[in-house]
Amino acid sequence: MPTLNIQYGGEQQAPDGSKTPVPPSAALMVRGPVIQVTLSVAQSIAEQLVQQGKTLPEPVSGLALIDTGASTTCIDDEAAKKLELPIINVVNMASATDASSSRNVYPVLIEIVGTPIKVNANGAIGANLSAQGLVVLIGRDVLLGFTLFYNGIMGQITLSL
Amino acid sequence: MLEQELKFYQDNLEAWLTSFPGKFVVVKGNELIGLFDTIDAALSAGARRFGLNSFLVRRVEQTPVEIRIPALTLGLISANP
Repeated sequence: MPTLNIQYGGEQQAPDGSKTPVPPSAALMVRGPVIQVTLSVAQSIAEQLVQQGKTLPEPVSGLALIDTGASTTCIDDEAAKKLELPIINVVNMASATDASSSRNVYPVLIEIVGTPIKVNANGAIGANLSAQGLVVLIGRDVLLGFTLFYNGIMGQITLSL
Repeated sequence: MLEQELKFYQDNLEAWLTSFPGKFVVVKGNELIGLFDTIDAALSAGARRFGLNSFLVRRVEQTPVEIRIPALTLGLISANP
């Protein structure tokens, strides 16, 4: 069973310039459960392109935030553009600022770096995530096949497929 | 984007709900390209014909599955701490 274990941590700079370690629990609390991913064209589309002798767009790497509050996975619009993903649907979503806004839907393959885990998100919704340093919000449509342990006390997560 | 395809889908939804409810349709312009049991099959068929150009893939259903993404709908993903 492919499993990803992440121990969060880091350093913070004190006013005198010295660096001190951030407790794992605080690092996970502040940043959230983020993982390194590589995005590419969804498998069913990539297979067709390869069969036709076409070159696949270069994958895009970045951080994904596991968001158990989201029913559907989201992809950064800029990342989707770089990957040349086709728009396969448009959905309307309410937001805090607009009554409703249209968002593009893309088919994307998410690979979790450091594991053999690859999962297709065939209905990923486009959003501006780059301002948060993210390329993807992993929602419950992708988590459907996973077991996720969130250990806030130890500052760890475990994701198994 | 996909305005023509979405209008074609809406215009035909009632008939399609009777004929093939639950199937995935691929639409390009005002043409129904095909009906499929899975979204993967629909994407394959769309890509075979249109490559990386956009095409509509939708399930034939009366009420679309509700999408809930509080981080986006509440504006949290772009909020400053």
